[in-house]
Amino acid sequence: MSARDGTIGSSPNRVGGIDRVTGAQRYLADLSVADALHAKLVTVPVAHARIDRIDGSAALALPGVRLVLTADDLPQPMPRFGPQNVDRPVLATGETKYQGDPVALVVADTKEEAEAGAAAVRVDYEALPAVFTVAGALAADAPLVQDPSLRPKDPRRETNVLNEHVVAWGDVEAAAAEHGLTIVERRYTFPMVTHFAIEPHAFMAAPDGDGVAVWSTIQHPNWLQKTIAGLTRLPLSRVRVYAPDPGGAFGGKQHAKYEPAVVFAALRLGRPVRLVLTLEETFQAVRRASCEARVRTGFTSDGRIAFHDIEADYLIGAYTDIADRVVGKGSYPAAGPYNVPAVRIVARAILSHTVPSTAFRGFGNPQINWAVESTIDEGARELGIDAVAVRLRNLARKGDRFIPFDTPCDGEWEQAVRKAAELIGWDQPCPPGHGRGIALGIKSGPTTGLSYSIVRLLADGSAVVYAGTSDMGQGARTVFAQIAAHELGAPLDWVTVAMGDTALVPYDQQTSASRSTVLMGNAVLAACRDIQAKLRTMAAAQQGLDEADVTVADGLVRLASGRELPIREVLTAGLGKLGGEITGLGEMRKEAEAGHPLSGAPAFFEFNCTAIEAEVDADTGDVTIHRHVTVSDVGKALNPLQVRMQDEGAAIMGLGHTLMEHYIFDEEGRIRNLGAIDYRIPTSMDLPRELRSEAVENADGPGPYGSKGMSEGALLCVAPAAAAAIRDATGVAIRDLPLTPERVWRALQAGPVPGDAEGRR
Amino acid sequence: MRPFTYARPDTLADAVALLAERGAEARVLAGGTDLIIRLRDGSARPAVVVDVKRVPELAPGIRVGDRGTLVIGATTTMTEIAAHPLVRRDLAGLAEAAAVVGSVQIRNRATLAGNLCNASPAADTAPSLLVHGAVVVAHGPSGERRIALDDFFVRSGVTTLAPGELVVAIEIPAPEAGRIASAHQRRTRRRGHDLASVTLACGLDASGLARIAYGSVGPRPVLRLDTTGVLADAASSDEARAPVFETIFADASPSARSMRAGPEYRLAMLRVLGRRALATAQARLAAGE
Repeated sequence: MSARDGTIGSSPNRVGGIDRVTGAQRYLADLSVADALHAKLVTVPVAHARIDRIDGSAALALPGVRLVLTADDLPQPMPRFGPQNVDRPVLATGETKYQGDPVALVVADTKEEAEAGAAAVRVDYEALPAVFTVAGALAADAPLVQDPSLRPKDPRRETNVLNEHVVAWGDVEAAAAEHGLTIVERRYTFPMVTHFAIEPHAFMAAPDGDGVAVWSTIQHPNWLQKTIAGLTRLPLSRVRVYAPDPGGAFGGKQHAKYEPAVVFAALRLGRPVRLVLTLEETFQAVRRASCEARVRTGFTSDGRIAFHDIEADYLIGAYTDIADRVVGKGSYPAAGPYNVPAVRIVARAILSHTVPSTAFRGFGNPQINWAVESTIDEGARELGIDAVAVRLRNLARKGDRFIPFDTPCDGEWEQAVRKAAELIGWDQPCPPGHGRGIALGIKSGPTTGLSYSIVRLLADGSAVVYAGTSDMGQGARTVFAQIAAHELGAPLDWVTVAMGDTALVPYDQQTSASRSTVLMGNAVLAACRDIQAKLRTMAAAQQGLDEADVTVADGLVRLASGRELPIREVLTAGLGKLGGEITGLGEMRKEAEAGHPLSGAPAFFEFNCTAIEAEVDADTGDVTIHRHVTVSDVGKALNPLQVRMQDEGAAIMGLGHTLMEHYIFDEEGRIRNLGAIDYRIPTSMDLPRELRSEAVENADGPGPYGSKGMSEGALLCVAPAAAAAIRDATGVAIRDLPLTPERVWRALQAGPVPGDAEGRR
Repeated sequence: MRPFTYARPDTLADAVALLAERGAEARVLAGGTDLIIRLRDGSARPAVVVDVKRVPELAPGIRVGDRGTLVIGATTTMTEIAAHPLVRRDLAGLAEAAAVVGSVQIRNRATLAGNLCNASPAADTAPSLLVHGAVVVAHGPSGERRIALDDFFVRSGVTTLAPGELVVAIEIPAPEAGRIASAHQRRTRRRGHDLASVTLACGLDASGLARIAYGSVGPRPVLRLDTTGVLADAASSDEARAPVFETIFADASPSARSMRAGPEYRLAMLRVLGRRALATAQARLAAGE
């Protein structure tokens, strides 16, 4: 078979790919239903305000305006929701907690009338002091972001610290007291950045018989179903979530945002209501947590890491969303893919009057990895040890319990490091004026999971796969179709993948943590195996053989005689005149584990090594990335082209926060660069001159055919690799992102800076 | 976007009459790359939008007029300007500037007159046009008049166009002292399309006069001349040039409030871009380009 035929390990055209690139795909904003009304959020232009009065009378007097929904119109007390803490109100009540926190929803006949109505709503408010930096949030007199009554039993309720995650092993202080160590201590900052999916969030809701139908650009349709059912007190079966394939999500569409408000409006009006955010509104809906980290690391003279002492303050937003999980799960592997005898990691989730941060590709790891990998680089420089050598010296080998309570090292990570070093030409002389940097990163995969899949093998040998995953561009449809095609012997274009409708598609916990190939992939595989077992019974009966003499695998029926039969032949004969189909059910379950700090060890690790060669224009501070090499351990690339492209995308996204992206605030905590003009993301012209994305494959993952999850790894170490390359080229260390031309220029003007609090014993 | 009346006059007289009648209620639409953004974000709320693309006198095109003047029609797009052989030969700095305005899609729509009438301090074509001595041809209720480009800009969004006046064309007179070799340089936050945090052009001729124009460091683009001959002298030292540049850049006053770049960086980059544009212009002058 050719490499593009759709079987496992080939790279057929993406399922739905032509529709995506020709504009034929119908995104949520392209969908409407009869009689749909249009909604617009009403916000106040400050970071924190007390709402005194909302007067919608002028708006209601405008043509087409049907409803001005405020907190007063909702059940009392205000219904709240949230995937971790139930702290987010459907609409702001009493106070707004961030710039963009909606106080009302205006619904009108047209989008323009809704916008005019929203502008006409009079909101009397008083701006209150806001906290939008770590220092501001931790100040003794800081205003509290969250009402303490929302967490009455939490001893931290009178502070803005939502949670503190401590992970430790070994004895850090004893290790630090050892003689002969080189101890490096540094501080790093990572900015607030937003997901910038090309498709903005969109929502629609409509009364649906005795229940409600909700359309959303959501990544987790089943979770949204549960959220809406809880808020409306409807049974799950009366809440139908339609989730058309999102146009990019990156974690920003995992959890409910404004769906509850739209649902309440639709139920109140008895008509469908739709809300499509503007790009500016998406900036105020989702972002990545910023982070300030202090890393103290001790090295032995031969480059072994003796201890890591890490503190990281993540500035999450006004409501928890999933951010506390981001902090806990993103920080616990902060010691990296290394065998380190003594580690202490203290990570805090700090509330602020800013956009609620949420999941974002990398899930809390890029922030801390930037700090820790950069510190390792600085230590290696002080010791005069090569940056690759110091990493290989400490790197965990397969089976090593490098995090004592966690999944052991599950890959030949050294292969990825050596491959990246080879591809960048680490051992070759660097062109004059260029510098090189390398960094490693790991991220934990899913710690729990539950995915069901139904596969129907239809009478003609074609198949329908039901999978509750959301294909937001990562290519899940293609991979599931490949699995079914491979197992059932159907051509790829005879497989249809049905997703995005909770009334028809069985439960899937979520599309996140690079889980779907492994968890849903295994469920699809199990459903196909269920069908294969039925085919085996059929074939045995047809051939007059014992079932033990028949095997069904890789799309074929094999008899003990060595004869092979096409599945379709067995199927047609077995179904007989009535026809029909064979249905298979697959389930993949990963249970929680008591005692694990994350309530479960990851199913796999994403491991990546990134190497960058850069040049700096000393006059302007411009950074040119000449070469960018990214190598991930993926177990088995089920679709090698998609694997390559996912890591290319992650690498480029990483260049965004590394080189140019950041929210800029004014003195009162208002976002100044709200929108695409002054929030810059990489364009095709900003790409590295050469970008190489490669994979290490040893078929040692828990997913189908030995696959692991991937697509986040290539983002983890872009920043430390780039900063190390800049340092190598210029001698200047920069510890704040993004590495804008102006920041690099300022650093060059200031000259090489000695580390803060470095010292040699 | 708020509703507005769309008008598309077919004659210059109708366009001018409509603009004169509606005054501040009217906005001119050419390429729309600035106007549409403002209509969408609500910062412009005109009652009438006057599309001037059907007015024959404003038609796109680049031609040689009387006495060797290059005449660029008001609705000529950036793409056409950047690709035009005469512009590339005689106005290299303008070709370079037009080639970096916005993105490919924006350059296919954005017009030269629109770039000037928008009067952004960061307008990329302004410095090159200033060093080439461009003249704005305007037509209004009281007829036609010619405005030296240096007398055209007031501040961001404000020009010396009178109410009812439209830009018909931009003229670049044939230089008196032989050809002007020019070069454009800019700074942006990324390589992809972006607004300039500093934009600058240098023009040199055989007489020894150097012209430097720069924008995005004050309320309007600035044109300064060096009559000392130091900058035009390919053999002058950096030490000799430095004080000349200091004089030329003395009027730069970048805002401390800008998020695109800090004042210190902008002022430093003016000097870097000045040196680079000068070197390119000198090389072009020497090569007879």
